Amino acid sequence: MVQSSQAVPAVAKRKRSYFARKPLQSFLALAIGVMLVLFIVIPILFVLVRSFGGADGFTLDYYRNFFARPYYYRALINSLTLATTVTSILVVFCFMYAYIVARLPRGIIATAMRSIAMLPLLAPPFIFSISLITLGGRRGLISQVLANLFGIEFSIYGWTGVILAQCIGLFPLGFMMLENVLRSMDLNLEEASADMGAGQWRTLWSVTIPLMMPGIMKAALLVFIKSIADFATPMVIGRGLPFLATDAYLLVVGQHNMEMAAVLATFLIMPTMLIFFVQNYVLKDKARTTIGGQAGGTARIKMNPLMKGLFILCSFISALFIVSAFGVVFWSAFVVIPGVNNTFTLAHFSTRTGVQALVTSLKIATSAAFFIAFVAMIQAYLNLRLKVPGSKIKEYLALFGMGVPGTVIGIGFILTFNQQPFKLTGTMFIIVMAIMCQYLGVSLEAGISKLHQIGPSMEEASWDMGASKAMTFFRVVLPLMGSSFLYGLIFTFMSAMTTISAVIFLVYPGTTLAAVYILQVAEQGAIARAAAMSVVLITIVALSLFILNRFTARTHLSRL
Amino acid sequence: MHAEPILKVENVVKKFGEVTALDGVSINVNRGEIVCFLGPSGCGKTTLLRVIGGFYEQEAGDVTLDGALINGIPPEKRDTVMFFQNYALFPHMTVYENVTYGLRVRRVPREAMKKQAGEILALIQLDGMEDRFPNQLSGGQQQRVALARALILNPKLLLLDEPLSNLDAKLRSYMREEIIKIRENLNLTIIFVTHDQEEAMSIADKIAVMRCGLIEQIGRPVDIYRYPESTYVANFVGSANFLKATVTGSDQSGSVEIDTHMGSLKMTAPRKEYSTGAKVVAVIRPESIGVSFEDSSNSSKSLKGEILRGSYLGSQMIYTIRVREETITVNLSDPGEEQIKKAGDTVYLTLPEYIHLIDAAKAGEFFD
Ligand SMILES: Nc1ncnc2c1ncn2[C@@H]1O[C@H](COP(=O)(O)OP(=O)(O)O)[C@@H](O)[C@H]1O
Ligand SMILES: [Mg+2]
Repeated sequence: MVQSSQAVPAVAKRKRSYFARKPLQSFLALAIGVMLVLFIVIPILFVLVRSFGGADGFTLDYYRNFFARPYYYRALINSLTLATTVTSILVVFCFMYAYIVARLPRGIIATAMRSIAMLPLLAPPFIFSISLITLGGRRGLISQVLANLFGIEFSIYGWTGVILAQCIGLFPLGFMMLENVLRSMDLNLEEASADMGAGQWRTLWSVTIPLMMPGIMKAALLVFIKSIADFATPMVIGRGLPFLATDAYLLVVGQHNMEMAAVLATFLIMPTMLIFFVQNYVLKDKARTTIGGQAGGTARIKMNPLMKGLFILCSFISALFIVSAFGVVFWSAFVVIPGVNNTFTLAHFSTRTGVQALVTSLKIATSAAFFIAFVAMIQAYLNLRLKVPGSKIKEYLALFGMGVPGTVIGIGFILTFNQQPFKLTGTMFIIVMAIMCQYLGVSLEAGISKLHQIGPSMEEASWDMGASKAMTFFRVVLPLMGSSFLYGLIFTFMSAMTTISAVIFLVYPGTTLAAVYILQVAEQGAIARAAAMSVVLITIVALSLFILNRFTARTHLSRL
Repeated sequence: MHAEPILKVENVVKKFGEVTALDGVSINVNRGEIVCFLGPSGCGKTTLLRVIGGFYEQEAGDVTLDGALINGIPPEKRDTVMFFQNYALFPHMTVYENVTYGLRVRRVPREAMKKQAGEILALIQLDGMEDRFPNQLSGGQQQRVALARALILNPKLLLLDEPLSNLDAKLRSYMREEIIKIRENLNLTIIFVTHDQEEAMSIADKIAVMRCGLIEQIGRPVDIYRYPESTYVANFVGSANFLKATVTGSDQSGSVEIDTHMGSLKMTAPRKEYSTGAKVVAVIRPESIGVSFEDSSNSSKSLKGEILRGSYLGSQMIYTIRVREETITVNLSDPGEEQIKKAGDTVYLTLPEYIHLIDAAKAGEFFD
């Protein structure tokens, strides 16, 4: 840049206009801050306070009750057992699956395998219980075969069903995290290990897995929280087993026992708090970066046949479960009674309440997606480029909201917004806020990492060539952030269409959402109707995903 | 006189989808030699090294190490060790653990391991750093750890992929010395890859110049520099004047007469016989041409020219000079003030007595 002496006043002027624009920034920053406090911090505080008696004065009675009643105590143990089991299974299987996918040459097989792993994202996670019931319920296909051939009484209800259904539903989460970690690994390290004589098992144990440990931990912790937070699966297929999230929900809806619900919610939120601590203090110090010059190599060492066989077998089993779970949902939706009367029918699709619920879901998901994606981009920019004070705290809050079980958010919202001055229950707005609370973090992270990746040099280049700051923002920054905006949009839309745990507390009879409706129908045993509704929901989500993908590809945003 | 070569590569072909990275490469490497693969980026050097190390499997051809065919044998079962361009140190292991990794894999007893590690760390001056993690070391130290980790296994073949390219000038010359010293101490056979001709010349016993998946020429640095078999090789290992010429006469003693754009020249080209009428390219290095500014016509070979351009580089002066219809470059080393002339001035050139001729077939770009 050639700085002539005349340019100096121009710079000074630019500085002044920056100050002149500051009110807008401050306003935006403040508005987002208030929103986060009001809809994340306050509801959670309300839950904590209520568990100690709330307005009636401090008491430990409810906690005493919790431990005195074996039923609730049992719920705690069950939830922990469930989460531990599901996490262990998923870490192992997702690792093998991700390993195969990440090491496969790019091509149709890798793409297909990745798509299958992500499939469960298209549906509310509890619908896999519906498939499991169709297959393994009292009159299910597999149960009948077992009964007729071997005289074995088999029922999927209970532990088996809950664990299996959660494993399928949470598979994408574990898979995505581990695949990411595997892809960012420096292949040269594994090659170096092999080169020095280590066999592939040895390399896996002493190089690959230790290096991936932070990522594996993170994936495990995320799966763990999501498993504990899932109240719907046990409701459909757990038949009577007590679990924290399920019982917290039932306490609110059935008995209106807000205090005990708050105690359960407090236990539910503890893993999140713990994870937050672990993530930010324990793992941070151990962050390991690649040593030396450039990263990576593209080499592919042939996998040893035994290892390859085992990994492929396990991946195949996982894929089989996911695909058949989906297949069964579709099949149950289109036949009279699955396995009994396999005549094609569309009868299950005729439900007016269902259609209404879908329309409401679409409205809410669309508004939530745009609102959240916009807020995220603005906050990311405020955070990284304008360095508005307090941005870091807001980022932490958004991330924290992501980890809080929906049940806790739902209960918190009821406690906070069911009375004046914030009587908001029964409005679409409050549902959008509940979704914001749970999913803003994802879009925000996407925006922030995109901005990190772009680096300020392009903006500087733009100023250097004489563009104003405003022009730079619109011409350079926004287009560059486009891909992360779209990502936020898609992700939030999908999540909003399929989310259930928080919003179920906030819907009113007139405003039921599709996912909530499916759960209610399934719980009443109308499996076919639930399946039909799921098919419609899956189709809509898949379709919107497809359209957005096309759009992204065509506008070259995908390459950013 | 030659013992059996330790490494034989025969007609190796390696493809990546559509791209043919190696197109039938053959090379022999003798025990104790330092061999360098030299060539521009993308010509297949890394690929060849990785085929030898076992990281890629070739589509065709054989690799023989110490008399045994090793096609398809994975890297962990080959007695070769690779030194990676980015070092590939294990970030979660200490220097000691990194260096002894290969020994632990081989279940070497603890005491023996300690002794060997001590020796190797002393050799490359890293003793006292055993308990550090790689990210607590400087770039040069990391590189030495990577070297120690490879050397401790006493491999039959040490493979180095651009070992000096990430270093600053000072470390680079230090490492160069280090590699030569290590070879002397451990009597290793080393193959290393570089795109830097000076680096190749200074370390290698033998250079293989590569081009588009093929080895264009293999030879000692002096062969490569003085007797390049193609204009590509001549160009890659230094600057050169290429004179398009036709042979007009030759005799048994190696003296040839060629017709060039500068006129007819009579010189000695001892390496080969040429038949009259053959199209050739004469290679003349810029530093081998004598320059004077007075007509010392005692030499019959003196050619009169006109300076087109001169650049003063301190240690040398580079002139671009027009001689009849030919433009040639001349380097004058340690130029004094009186030797710095301007464009348009007249100079007298003395061509070297010996000349190297390349067949038209190996000088494609000059004869279309
Ligand atoms: N893993 C790979 N996949 C596809 N193409 C590759 C791969 N490795 C190298 N190539 C191609 O093979 C050719 C030779 O590459 P390489 O051996 O790395 O060259 P060099 O080391 O000489 O720069 C290049 O055209 C490169 O693009
Ligand atoms: Mg290379």
